[in-house]
Amino acid sequence: MRLIQSIDYAAIAPPVALGLTAVVVLVADLFLPPARRALATVISLAGSLVALGFAAWLPTQDARHTLCFPGGACSYAADHFTAFFQLLFLGALVVVLLLSLTSVAEESLPTGEFHFLLLSSVTGMLVLAASRDLLSLLVALEVVSLPAFVLVGLRRGDPRGSEAALKFFLFSVVSTGLTVYGMALVYGVTGTLQVDGIAAALAPVHAAGGAKSSLAAAAVVLVVVGFAFKVSAVPFHFWAPDTYQGAPVPVAAFLSTASKAAGFAGMLVLLLEAFRPYADVWGPVIAVLAALTMTVGNLVALRQWHIVRLLAWSTVAQAGYMLVPLGIATTAGGRGAAELHTAVQATLAYLGIYVVMNLGAFACVAAVVRHSPRAGVEDFRGLARRSPVLAVCFALFLTALAGLPPGVAGLFAKLVILRAAVHGHVAWLAVIAAANAVIGLAYYLRVAALLFDLSSDSAAAPAVSGPLVARRSRTVWAAVAVTALGTVALSVDPQLLLHAASTAAASLRHSVAP
Amino acid sequence: MHGYFGGYALVGLLGLVGVGFVVVGLGVNRLLRPWKLTPEKLLTYESGVDPVGEGWAQTQVRYYVYAFLYVVFAVDAVFLFPWATVFALPGFGGLSLAEMFVFLGFLAVGLLYAWKKDVLAWV
Repeated sequence: MRLIQSIDYAAIAPPVALGLTAVVVLVADLFLPPARRALATVISLAGSLVALGFAAWLPTQDARHTLCFPGGACSYAADHFTAFFQLLFLGALVVVLLLSLTSVAEESLPTGEFHFLLLSSVTGMLVLAASRDLLSLLVALEVVSLPAFVLVGLRRGDPRGSEAALKFFLFSVVSTGLTVYGMALVYGVTGTLQVDGIAAALAPVHAAGGAKSSLAAAAVVLVVVGFAFKVSAVPFHFWAPDTYQGAPVPVAAFLSTASKAAGFAGMLVLLLEAFRPYADVWGPVIAVLAALTMTVGNLVALRQWHIVRLLAWSTVAQAGYMLVPLGIATTAGGRGAAELHTAVQATLAYLGIYVVMNLGAFACVAAVVRHSPRAGVEDFRGLARRSPVLAVCFALFLTALAGLPPGVAGLFAKLVILRAAVHGHVAWLAVIAAANAVIGLAYYLRVAALLFDLSSDSAAAPAVSGPLVARRSRTVWAAVAVTALGTVALSVDPQLLLHAASTAAASLRHSVAP
Repeated sequence: MHGYFGGYALVGLLGLVGVGFVVVGLGVNRLLRPWKLTPEKLLTYESGVDPVGEGWAQTQVRYYVYAFLYVVFAVDAVFLFPWATVFALPGFGGLSLAEMFVFLGFLAVGLLYAWKKDVLAWV
């Protein structure tokens, strides 16, 4: 009898490739002379592209399941859902790597450690998207978070960076504690850690009702709360603005996109797979979270003068939009398989578009400012005069985030979530989302209009933070170009993403090996 | 003292008794003892030696990194012992032998990192 698990190495190829790259970068940096430090970026990019290749190849095959238990349930699934998220994470990683080359050099961040931590965090994300049991999910979530704390505080001797890292750490530890508590209760009620097993065990518990059912409901809510921290949903969002502002700009870009998407990956697996029988419990919770997150995020963003804080509050609001489709589980009519499929598809589509346009916005900020602590919105006044191309790209990303043409991708994303909400019979949530989209216009368009404000001469612009000029960095420009092309492509042919999101959502319902 | 919460009541009672013991002990002592302060008595007690300098002194945490490295290798040993008792049994095979060396290889990278960063040199 074989006592060791057989492992399908093809299925786990993307995280393994990226994890090994992380180790190679760390060791290579030890032996490289300081003048050759840029090689770390080259190695990291090469490793990411290899992992990207594996992740793109896997969905062309049949879904693979590995690390299976004797009962047939598997801890690791390489299906379309996994592939969707893995491609998203790796794509974001490539852009962040391009952004960070100049930041690492200018802010004298430790090169090897920066890349090692970044790649480690993304390795955790790749595993998180594929995990189908509570322990794997938890370990992967920690692998995502732990390097991120250090990345935020990597700028030595900067009190704001340390403060940001500490806040991020404390909030994340508390949220993980709640998640673990919830998971322990789930295990106590169901006696299994497997996502499918939990769903099967929870259904009769829910039907029977009573104290055990209440306990399971509390557990579900606790787990949801833990992931709500990760996606920075109100009222668990307090860490986000301070952390983004204190972190180096590429790290803020990373946290606001890949890290948030990782939170959604875990949340979707748990809500739609494990806690499906309790959709009547988590549905209203998610709906209220979505409404609060959108409204608070947008209203506070209206009063921000710091560009990274403004974008941070905007990412809070955007997380709310992404939660809207899941809120349809509030009504009995929204809990059908077809409705939930549409909801997941809408969330995934919005997430995909959001990652591209938000990375673009942060790339534009990185192209203009060196240090995030001193980057006022006013400093962007008349950017079109100094760098017309950059101003046009930034305006594209801002209008996309607002959901207006010419950023049609963002408009499309908003329509998808509104359609899902209306189909799920939660019209009140759709109304709140639509109202918020209007509030959002105010601050996105204010910044976009500033870019093209050529009337005032540059002397009138506040000189507090010195002249901000576009940096002559090819890699940052490459990041802007990649995200701009992505936004344009998604504006022209959104059906591509919607189709991928639909297949990904469809594979969420069966993760047991046949 | 019956029922589910009876046990907790007992614990609470014990807590009250503990707090009362300390309060009564210290309070009676305070009332009975003489109270004559001298500058000598107000000095910080440092095992009979007169204190030098401020309480806020910087100390070098040279053991800190060693403590870290110790934890790494202690955790490694935790995994090694159970593995050593089973890896040769039938059903495990050469793969489980190789897997442990992969694990040790990753730990060795950590040691290599510490060595190249001059952490292992005593300062």
